[in-house]
This record gives sequence, structure tokens and C-alpha cells, in this order.
Amino acid sequence: MGYDILSKVIELTDSTDALEKRLKDVANLLAHAFAFDQCAVYLSDQDKHVLTLAVAVGSKRGCQEEYKENEGLPGLAIKKGSPIFATQSKPPNETWQGILDKGTNGFKTVVCYPIKDDWLHGVLYLKNKEKKAVTLKEKKLLSVIVLQLATAIKNYQCIINLRDINTKMKDMQDRLVNAEKLLALGEMAASLAHEIKNPLVSIGGFAKRLSQQMNLDSPHMSYVDRIVKEVSRLEKLMDGIVHFSKDESYVFLSEDINIIIEEAVAFFEDDFKRNGIAVVKELSLHVPKIDVDRQHLKLVFNNLMTNAIQAMEKGGTLTIQTYQEGSWIVTEIHDTGGGIDPNIISNIFNPFYTTKETGTGLGLAITHSIITNHKGIIEVNNNIGVGVTFVIKLPLSDKEGRILKAS
Amino acid sequence: MKEKILVVDDEEGLRLLYKEELEDEGLNVHVAASGEEAIAKLEKDKFDLIVLDIKMPGMDGIEVLRRVKEKWKNIPVILSTAYHHYKQEFGTWASDAYVVKSSDLKELKTTIKDILNMGRK
Repeated sequence: MGYDILSKVIELTDSTDALEKRLKDVANLLAHAFAFDQCAVYLSDQDKHVLTLAVAVGSKRGCQEEYKENEGLPGLAIKKGSPIFATQSKPPNETWQGILDKGTNGFKTVVCYPIKDDWLHGVLYLKNKEKKAVTLKEKKLLSVIVLQLATAIKNYQCIINLRDINTKMKDMQDRLVNAEKLLALGEMAASLAHEIKNPLVSIGGFAKRLSQQMNLDSPHMSYVDRIVKEVSRLEKLMDGIVHFSKDESYVFLSEDINIIIEEAVAFFEDDFKRNGIAVVKELSLHVPKIDVDRQHLKLVFNNLMTNAIQAMEKGGTLTIQTYQEGSWIVTEIHDTGGGIDPNIISNIFNPFYTTKETGTGLGLAITHSIITNHKGIIEVNNNIGVGVTFVIKLPLSDKEGRILKAS
Repeated sequence: MKEKILVVDDEEGLRLLYKEELEDEGLNVHVAASGEEAIAKLEKDKFDLIVLDIKMPGMDGIEVLRRVKEKWKNIPVILSTAYHHYKQEFGTWASDAYVVKSSDLKELKTTIKDILNMGRK
């Protein structure tokens, strides 16, 4: 007895098995070698300040699943920083040295070792139904074994931590490489977009003139219409790419949001008429001016109205409301276009997500980023079978033009 | 009398498109292919409005805008460019309006009409 137990413990703790299996093997060995009815190992959770039962062998009696770091005999052993040996003659008695520990019920001998080196890893808890003495030699041996356990647990946790860090680093690296790629792509796209935009405007503009000068029954009409449509799609795509690739700065000036909305509505007048869409404006006359970037906000309303028009191809009602709600100026844009498929609603603000054949998938993503840049909020209320309401909340600003912190 | 406007853009296709489209709107449209040419035309002739491209080789739109506001400060200027970026530049604030180029000229036309109407009042 002695060195053979120690070498066995080292062999068991150094194995490549999972930590729990190794602890269980050691607990079994200790219960047999030192003749205890129960041998349990608790592991410390430093964040939660609790000890959790990792393994228990032998009698399951009174084996508590969890101890607080200051609870029971394990708590006492941690506090003292040294092992506790206790015996008593009259079980059941749950109070030892003035400490209540229900786990001791039915045992006459308990031994509790804190497993620690620089910091606490857990507790080794041995119990016996009969009174028994632990010799000095056994105590010394147990101390060395507990140190070995501490090393094993520490190593295991280091490996887990390393693995965790490694995964995180790989993840970070992947994202960095991706971000760099996107940035390079964005820069290239942005410089290209400038060169592409002018000829596109020419092509599309002249195609429009052609279509206006053509006979409606001309067989070439559909070709020209196709050119016009495709060019306008490319233009939108280019605008979207430039928007995402450049850190566009905003010019915030005090504006009346109702006027911006009126302009946007006027812009789509022909489309509303063509699709048979009634426009209801409930614009509050009392909304104060707020600091916004007019061009960007116009883009927001253009995007939302384009979507509404496309959703109401067979007619409907577009309702636009503005009102003040606390320190927010709220705009609601409500259509009767049947709502959005609930399966896709979580994607609608993602770039390049589209369900439309001619969509770029950038409209709502840009809308979202513009509202966010205004420190505002955009929400979508989907009423399946009825329609969609986009709710835009923009913060009020104080007299000095600072944006008030919204409550 | 037709209102006389000057379109300044280094892209030939756009000058032609703007000229035809804006003439259809009943405007008397002159074009200039560069900032230098624009200034030369302004020296000789009187215009009611200028549509000005920003990104041009040689004298760019911002420089033209600066000179116009010094010398002919009553002529309204609409800046026109491919994308939003130039808006942040201090110089562009002096313009009367800012229009992003699009094959749909509706916004440009409305802006021109609004500004000319304001001038008449």
C-alpha cells in the first residue's frame, strides 16, 4: 500500500479518457483501497460559486448533487483550505463541528479534501458507515493523490479552454478574411459602379424615349420595354452596391417629415393610378421638425412604396400615418397586399434576399441601415392575408439639434 | 418665352439625352462638355438654370459651382451625379438642389420645374 496506489492513480488520471471516466476510476480505486462506503468528487464552478457532483461510487446514500462553496463540510474544507476528518458515534446526526451537512446522514466517518493548487478545482468527499480511523500515512497519501487530481482537472480544463479559444480564433480569422474580401469587392464594385452608371442612364433614358415614340402595337415594343426594365434593375443594383461599399456620410438638417412623405407619394402618383391603389394620408399637422437626411429618408419611403405597389398589383389601399409618440416621430405605412409569407419574414431585412424576379434584395436592407443611421427603429407588423405595416420611429432632437435619448 | 438652361456633363450620351428630354418639356437647352466650356458659355449668354455634373475631368462641377455663385449668383444650380457621395462635401451645399442620375428623368424634370416656378413668383 502506498506507492502502488499512487502509481495506479497517476496511471488512471493520465489516461486519455474523458475526465468523468478518469475521476470515476480513481473514485473506485480510492473507495476500495481506503475502505470507504462512498467516494464522491465534486467539481467547482467558479462562476456560480457552487460545487457540482461529478462522480460518486459505492453507497448513494446522502449524496448531495450540489453544494454552495460555503455549504456543509465541503464548504468548511474549502474555507479552511485543508482536509477535514471527522467521526461520530451516533448517526443520524447532520451537524458536524457546528456545520449542517445533510450528506452526512447515516455515516460515522467523513473525510473531505479540497482539490486545489493555485485555485480551487473541487472537493474529494469520502464517507463510511462505521467509525474508522485514518492513519497519518493514509492522510499523506491522500494529500498527494488529491494534488494529482487537481493537476488532472486543471489540465483537462486547460485543454477545453484551448479548444474553445482555438475555435473562436478560427471563427474570427474566417470572418476577418471574409470581411477583407467583402471590403476589396466593395471598393472595386464602387469604383466600377461610377463608370457603369453614366452609360446605364444613357441606355435606359434613350430606351424610354424609343418606347414613347413607338406605336403601341409595334412588335418591337416588348423588346424596348425589356431594355427599360432591365436597365432600371441594374441601376438599383448599382445604387445598392455603392450604398453598402461606401461609408456614406449623412447630412442631418431639420426637416418636416410630412413634406418628404408628400414628395414620395407624388413621385408614385402614376403607379398608384395604374394599379388602382387608393392612397389615404393621415399626417399629423403637429409633428415637429426632426433632424434627418432628406435624400436618404426619401429613399426609405421610395423603397417602402415600391414594395407596397408591387404587393398591390390588383389594387388596394395604401395608408400613411404620421404622429408623435413620446420622443419618437412615428410613420406607419400600411398596405392591403396580403402580407408577407411568415417563412421569409425573418429574412426581409437581409441584403441580397429577394423573392422578386427583378428584385435586387437590397431595398429593405438599405431601408433598415438608413433608419439605423438615424438612430431610429423600423418594425414590420405582418397581418397574413391582409397586409403589411412598416412602422418607422425616428427620434426627436432638442433645440441644439442633439438627438434626444429615446425613452 | 422659353426658359434657357445649360446642361454640363462630360458624357456625350447624357448631354444628348438631357437635351432631347428637356426640350420635350418645353425648355431651351444648351449643353457644355466641360467646366471650362460651361464658364465660356455663361460669359457669353444668360441662362435661367444650370444642371451640373460634378465628376468631370479638368474643372470639376464643384469648381464651376463656386465660380457661378461668385459671378452669377442668381442662376440656380442643380447638381447631378451618379451617386450620393458628393453631398457631404461642403461645396455642394451652395447648390439649389441635388439630383442623383437615373434613367428615369422624372425627378430631374420635377426639380427643374419647381425651381423655375419659384423664380417666377
